[in-house]
Amino acid sequence: MIGPEFPQVLSAAARGDEEAFGRLWHDLQPRVLRYFAVVSAAAAEDLASETWLGVVRGIERFRGSEPAFRAWVFTIARHVALDWRRRAAHRPTEDLAADGLLEQVAPDDPAAAAVEGFSTRAALGLVATLPADQAEAVVLRVVAGLEVDRVAAIMGKRPGTVRVLTHRGLRRLAERLGDDARIRRVV
Amino acid sequence: MGPDDAFSAEMRRLPLDPDTDPLALDDETVERLLAGELSPEQAPPGYAEVAELLAAATAAPTRGELAGQAAVLAELRAVTSTRRAPAHARRAARPPRRRWAGAAAVALVGALVTGGVAVAASGGLPEPVREAARSILSSDGDARPAAPSQPGPAPSLVPPGPAGATTAGAEGPRATGSTHPRSGPAGTGPLGEQEKKGLCRAFLASQDKTTGKMDATAFARLARAAGGESRIPAYCEGHQPGDAKPKDQEEPPDSQGQGQSGSPPGSGGGQGQGEPQTTRPSSR
Repeated sequence: MIGPEFPQVLSAAARGDEEAFGRLWHDLQPRVLRYFAVVSAAAAEDLASETWLGVVRGIERFRGSEPAFRAWVFTIARHVALDWRRRAAHRPTEDLAADGLLEQVAPDDPAAAAVEGFSTRAALGLVATLPADQAEAVVLRVVAGLEVDRVAAIMGKRPGTVRVLTHRGLRRLAERLGDDARIRRVV
Repeated sequence: MGPDDAFSAEMRRLPLDPDTDPLALDDETVERLLAGELSPEQAPPGYAEVAELLAAATAAPTRGELAGQAAVLAELRAVTSTRRAPAHARRAARPPRRRWAGAAAVALVGALVTGGVAVAASGGLPEPVREAARSILSSDGDARPAAPSQPGPAPSLVPPGPAGATTAGAEGPRATGSTHPRSGPAGTGPLGEQEKKGLCRAFLASQDKTTGKMDATAFARLARAAGGESRIPAYCEGHQPGDAKPKDQEEPPDSQGQGQSGSPPGSGGGQGQGEPQTTRPSSR
């Protein structure tokens, strides 16, 4: 979070002030990358760059609070992800989900949930194994740090639906991790 | 109704009643889990590892995740200067003419585009020349040096919860702060990977969007690196966002000399996740 200085930082960034823009980037880029790691991991880095290109082009016209700005950035990110999926649909030879990230954190791999805890990458990989809507709702709530209503607006769903999706997602993760724990005890 | 029907069906199918479902959660508990307010110890039965997972998902940024700032700022520079100088011909490779920017300054343009301003600002050039360079690069004369700024990183992506895990991560955010490698050699030499990426993206955007324009100096820089204007498309091939591509190996080695496990130094995080973080989140 930028905090109380946000309005000044935003307007400076909109004028092209690199330090100010850098602060916005610094705050949100890790979240944007992690969002893409969940929703389209195979191209997360490129899609994050494309998202920032959209931010650069549109920031001059953006008006709003810091939470609104964050929601705006993730709205762009989501469009970028959808575009990418559409393009990818026309490139049948490319693997969409079978990338290294997911392979590394196959949920039945006890090492993915070692006693010492998760790596960020493993955690995101596990979230990515959820049904797509649940995964996106969870990552927008948790990683993007957005309120239910904003997530609902971004995903084009009702707030109640987003609540159900996140609840379902957490529950599924609990089931899966519980299975892992049992596996560990057996092994 | 449409998209919601499936979930309603799922809700009916899966028990939510705490009496029959040991993993049922009330809304408040869900919110507290999502907000990171419940440590694994405080989490409801069956959710300790979920709490741990969510904490890991919001752990402090890794160095790899913060590696691409130079490219974004290059885009910002290109867009901003274009906006300020709309008269620039979109494909103009000639140096822009401005006020008192004399021949010497014009000759410097090639060396000072994007990443090179910092060199000008600190590298012993006479003040008028520095001013000229800044003026050319950003028409209103108050441009800042192009060195990526490094505001103090947040310790974590979310505010620390009241009972967060306290295991210190080895990857403290500040440990990575001040030494982010510049994207590559500045000036007329080959473009660094990040700079190339930024310029190519700006170029490609200027090609297929009617609103897109590319800063003339940035274009000239790109043309020089590509070996001519006509070669830019080929040079930039693979930088179309979303295209699968082999990672370019030109990127300078990670100047921090602390390659993380499992990731070659300077790879920029091929999977977009940067370095794998092998420790617990530092401040949840």
